[in-house]
Amino acid sequence: MITRRQLLKRSLLVSLSPVVPAFLTRTAGAAETDKDGRVLVVIQLDGGNDGLNTVVPYRDENYARLRPKLKLPQDRLIKLNDELALHASMKAAGELFEHGRLTIVQGVGYPNPNRSHFRSMAIWHTARLDEAEHGQYGWLGRALDTQAATRTGPHAVYSSLGSVPLALWGRRSATIEVKSKDELALDSPVELLQAATSTTDECSQLARRVSVECGDAFATCERLAPILAGQMAPGEDDGPTRLAAHLSIISALIKAGTTARVYYAAQRGYDTHASQTYEHARLLREFAGAVKTFLDDLAASGLADRVLVLAFSEFGRRAAENASEGTDHGAAAPVFIAGPNLASPIIGPAPNLSQLKDGDVEMAVDFRQVYATILRQWLGVPPAEVLGAAFDELALFRA
Amino acid sequence: MESAADYWKPYEPTAAAPWNRRRAVHLHRRAGFAATWAELERDLAGNPQDAVTRLIAGQARIDAVPGDFEALAKMLTDAATASQLDRRLKAAWVFRMLFSPDPLGERLTLLWHNHFATSNLKVQNLKFIDAQNDVLRRHGRAPFGELLAAAVHSPAMLVWLDADKNVSAHPNENLGRELMELFTLGIGNYTEADVQQAARALTGWKVVADQFRFRGERHDGGEKTILGQTAKFDGDGLLALLIEQPATARRVAWRLCRMMLGEPLIDDAAIDALAESLKKHDLNIGGAVEIVLRSERFFAAENIAATIAAPPQYVIGTVRALECFVPPPSTLLLAGWMTRMGQDLFYPPNVGGWSEGKAWLASGAIVARANFLTALVEGRLAQSGAARDFGPLIQRHCGEVNLAQSVEWLAELAFGGLPQSITHGVEREAASRGKDGASALSSAILLLFSRPEAHLA
Repeated sequence: MITRRQLLKRSLLVSLSPVVPAFLTRTAGAAETDKDGRVLVVIQLDGGNDGLNTVVPYRDENYARLRPKLKLPQDRLIKLNDELALHASMKAAGELFEHGRLTIVQGVGYPNPNRSHFRSMAIWHTARLDEAEHGQYGWLGRALDTQAATRTGPHAVYSSLGSVPLALWGRRSATIEVKSKDELALDSPVELLQAATSTTDECSQLARRVSVECGDAFATCERLAPILAGQMAPGEDDGPTRLAAHLSIISALIKAGTTARVYYAAQRGYDTHASQTYEHARLLREFAGAVKTFLDDLAASGLADRVLVLAFSEFGRRAAENASEGTDHGAAAPVFIAGPNLASPIIGPAPNLSQLKDGDVEMAVDFRQVYATILRQWLGVPPAEVLGAAFDELALFRA
Repeated sequence: MESAADYWKPYEPTAAAPWNRRRAVHLHRRAGFAATWAELERDLAGNPQDAVTRLIAGQARIDAVPGDFEALAKMLTDAATASQLDRRLKAAWVFRMLFSPDPLGERLTLLWHNHFATSNLKVQNLKFIDAQNDVLRRHGRAPFGELLAAAVHSPAMLVWLDADKNVSAHPNENLGRELMELFTLGIGNYTEADVQQAARALTGWKVVADQFRFRGERHDGGEKTILGQTAKFDGDGLLALLIEQPATARRVAWRLCRMMLGEPLIDDAAIDALAESLKKHDLNIGGAVEIVLRSERFFAAENIAATIAAPPQYVIGTVRALECFVPPPSTLLLAGWMTRMGQDLFYPPNVGGWSEGKAWLASGAIVARANFLTALVEGRLAQSGAARDFGPLIQRHCGEVNLAQSVEWLAELAFGGLPQSITHGVEREAASRGKDGASALSSAILLLFSRPEAHLA
């Protein structure tokens, strides 16, 4: 492992390369002065996480009634208090909780829940309930837009399979993707590839747009590749799960002092319509373990105070299990927030299973309250501008 | 409103829109996987409608179509499913894209793979995945109702959307919802109640001994009201109802437009006009494809190079245009490059499929495209491992020519020509990099095939 000082020196050398703009990393000096800049890491649990079997109201007799086959054995649960417990496979999250590094916000959703993966995810991504506003910009893209004029981009990094989520689409802010570290090593000289992107007025508008995309991509990877190569010890890719591998890339980028303030990763597979017991346990184990490893890694570099993690899913699942030992698309569910200076371990009431609405847990906290809180209190962005309306903020951080 | 026939008026060459190399290149890049020089020359010697006819009839390719193609493709596919290795099944599909006499058929198979996006991530059964791929190919030009029925009855789909978990006592909505939202009507054209009733209609569908079976005892035989109609719908009745809906015709029209027209040309008028002719012809896909490919709009200047080439188009198109047939590139490696460019065959990101268009050009994907090209030129995609010598290709088609002439010819081959200011720049850059003629030519190919135009179709 190279030292931080060596790394910064190396970044500086890279930034002097004549063909690329100062694109991704600040100079070594600037990275030092901006080291207390705050960063948000969003983890998307794709498919609709079964909140009821994640944060379990284990004393509630309705839980056992609604989940005759899927109810989790009480003795193995990780008890958080007299009514709530974490799934047994979330030991790592339990440790974060114990040390005050994890807050669970319960019953997070929105009015008139939509059960389409795409529509509900679009609602979470855009923070807009109206479908007509789903085509263009996401809440994080809008938040980053407010700073795009004064901060060099890229403003966000996406590191997972699939394409950049709508949440990150902005009008001026730029997101790049880094899915694996060797993705950013060019096998031909960058000068040659940059020469190939040259266009003239005779080229079509679309060709010129593609040319800009190509030029940016080559410049980005030219700057980033040595940083990633230096940050990750050989063989690190073999061990961790996919989510952990993506979070380790994000960790490397944060340590390298990249310009991005928002990082985004996704974990797939939560659409558990059938035989979910084993698979759901595996997903939660991977999730909790990856988050804890990530935060511990940052803490070891003295960066833990700068990083807040938000994990959400597009919806929870129906309170009652289906006949396939799975669960169908539901509504409100818990959201996880991990990081420094958290005020209270649990926000929002435990789900009321005796009063379901259309078979779903009723919403207790609007997801836009969570967003508003993070926007203002963590990222320093006025929430109303981003969310299109004012929302009550939560007592998430210690005063 | 303009009638469908007027809207899709057939293309006839004019002084303003002549039948030239740019248009011939356009036809193959947009509806196939680019063309070789001989294929372009043949098309230019005749008229454009004959070129379209050949593409539709699966007779567009001259070069590198093995006489026993079907037998070879089947052997590779069977070996792949027997091996249980998904990368071999991906390679077998790449073999089809590369060597099939019917490139349009493979493009349509890709299109339906995105429409009925099913991932082996969940299905975990290569036989099912292969059988579904075969269904999409076989019915890719059929009336949409036939394709839809075959696709949703395929065991891969039944596993993917939990159909055989859907029983009368406890309906599972997964298939019912995606059937309406993604496969037929599109969002906004049905209610939540319709989804629940559709799920009831679909009860009793099951995979038994690797085949679709209807199990009456699991079926809810009661009345259901779906889209305002009340009947004792079963699954097939539901499909028949969905096929009749105008929204379904529009959604199929939209899908086909997205393949054949650039974004600025796709508006309500285009979708309505295509939907209208689909409705007149039993939603016949092949007929609709033909109507668009033959049209003036398809050959209009603003439709040329107006879409972003998907990974298979970029990879296969480059290999074919440059006639990289001897030694053939490894189909396993080509499939691997498509994955790195964002299209992992048989593993779409979710039930909605790949986002396409601009989404193909994420930074990592652009780097993958550049690195693929480097690997191709350096010979790392073929077993011999020796750098590919493009001299013989130039020699074959142009005789003895200098670097400048080679660059001009390559630009004609790939794009139907480029502005001289560009080709001159490419020549200068290539000459300054090449120690000898061969390496200057390789640099020219790298420069030309990583140009922005190379990512368009």
